[in-house]
Amino acid sequence: MAKGFGILAAAALTLAAVLPAQADKLDDIIASGTLRCAVVLDFPPMGSRDANNEPIGFDVDYCNDLAKALGVKAEVVETPFPDRIPALVSGRVDVGVASTSDTLERAKTAGFTIPYFAFTMVVLTKDGVGIKDYDSLKGKKTGSVSGTFEAMALESDVKKWGAGTTFRGYQNQADVFLALSQGQIDATVVTSTVAAAIVKEGKYKGLMMGGDAPYDIDYVALIALRNEQGLLNYLNLFVNQQVRTGRYKALYDKWIGLGEAPSLTVPGVYR
Amino acid sequence: MNYTFHWLPAFRALPDMLWGALVTLEIAVLSMVLGVFFAVLLAVGASSKYRVFRAAAVSWVELARNTPALFQIYMAYFGLGSLGIHLDSFVALLAGITFNNAGYLAETFRGGLRAVPQTQLRAARSLGMGQIQAFRLVMMPQMFRIVFYPLTNQMVWAILMTSLGVIVGLNDDLTGVTQEYNVRSFRTFEYFALAAVIYYLLAKFVTVSARLMAWRLFRY
Repeated sequence: MAKGFGILAAAALTLAAVLPAQADKLDDIIASGTLRCAVVLDFPPMGSRDANNEPIGFDVDYCNDLAKALGVKAEVVETPFPDRIPALVSGRVDVGVASTSDTLERAKTAGFTIPYFAFTMVVLTKDGVGIKDYDSLKGKKTGSVSGTFEAMALESDVKKWGAGTTFRGYQNQADVFLALSQGQIDATVVTSTVAAAIVKEGKYKGLMMGGDAPYDIDYVALIALRNEQGLLNYLNLFVNQQVRTGRYKALYDKWIGLGEAPSLTVPGVYR
Repeated sequence: MNYTFHWLPAFRALPDMLWGALVTLEIAVLSMVLGVFFAVLLAVGASSKYRVFRAAAVSWVELARNTPALFQIYMAYFGLGSLGIHLDSFVALLAGITFNNAGYLAETFRGGLRAVPQTQLRAARSLGMGQIQAFRLVMMPQMFRIVFYPLTNQMVWAILMTSLGVIVGLNDDLTGVTQEYNVRSFRTFEYFALAAVIYYLLAKFVTVSARLMAWRLFRY
């Protein structure tokens, strides 16, 4: 009898030890009751803070919607652009709702969903610098947020233009605007949504649009750990449902409001 | 940890990172040379009989030693920027670290000078040396011996502080280059590990060569 108990206990222990290991991230999130989202909060209107220092924005609402779908509580973890992957890998967050451009290089490291938003880029400059379009950036001092899609595109063009044109990579969007308004740099390239929001806000004096930047459309996706296929699968369906139910359009109208919500599909190809 | 290391692409970035390390070393060396220069002025200023010089020297030392280096560098870039003075990222970082170095080194020099007994000066004078001669031949060598290791410490500290350049947009020093590779590929751990090894080797190079120099210089 005692021996039987021993075997049973051992079996139970083994089961207990094995079962949690098989639970994947999706299970963990549901079991823990909290969804932790990495959101960039100096990137209006996608993410910023209101007068009471509470996180607001498209990405914040998106995270809340996701938490609601999962039946858990949402926790927004403020994460600067360069820290998104470290936050994910070190387990401080479960998903990144952080306007992450889905490059092939990055997909070697992080798991990307289908696009949940798409940006076009514009030049943002200052009164009196004399920049009217993208080509007049030649010979000027430029800068952007290190690690963003537009920073990489701008830096490679700056390298192509050669001597005289400079590029500086800053650690967050606020520092770029500060540098631009102070005259440390003459121009930056940012997403049209951010440019519109920052010019309208008027906190930084003299900033103005300097025309479109001729880059590809910047499709951004949710990110999770690369091996969490269960979670990524759920997220893909969630993105699809957001569009299907009209929630995507509603959020677009609420936070951006200019024109049509950008199409998230690429003609002529699956995914 | 849910992460598999990709070392091969990381090693391909090594040449670029070593060029970055050269910029890092350049800033550190310049900041030390300038720092020593200003530290001597500060040490002299702190014992000046004019209150203005004393106050200026004391407030420099106090600010440099009791506020974060990150704050000092940020102020050199964005602080002066708001007053319409535009320093380049490189210059702002150099200015910030020089400011910091000078503050610490001024105290090091002051301490070093006080550690040499005044009787040495009197003994030298009684041997017939002039004031300057006694200072140069008797006091200075003894002081140099005392401040030598704190100086190398500060040099190591300066190398490590250059990593703060990323906050003012510097992207060609070791941390800047590392960060560029990092954000492009999201391979944070590999690139940061490589950078850490390079920083370690730089710092070790400084301490070991200082030890060798001390062995040559301070033999009786």
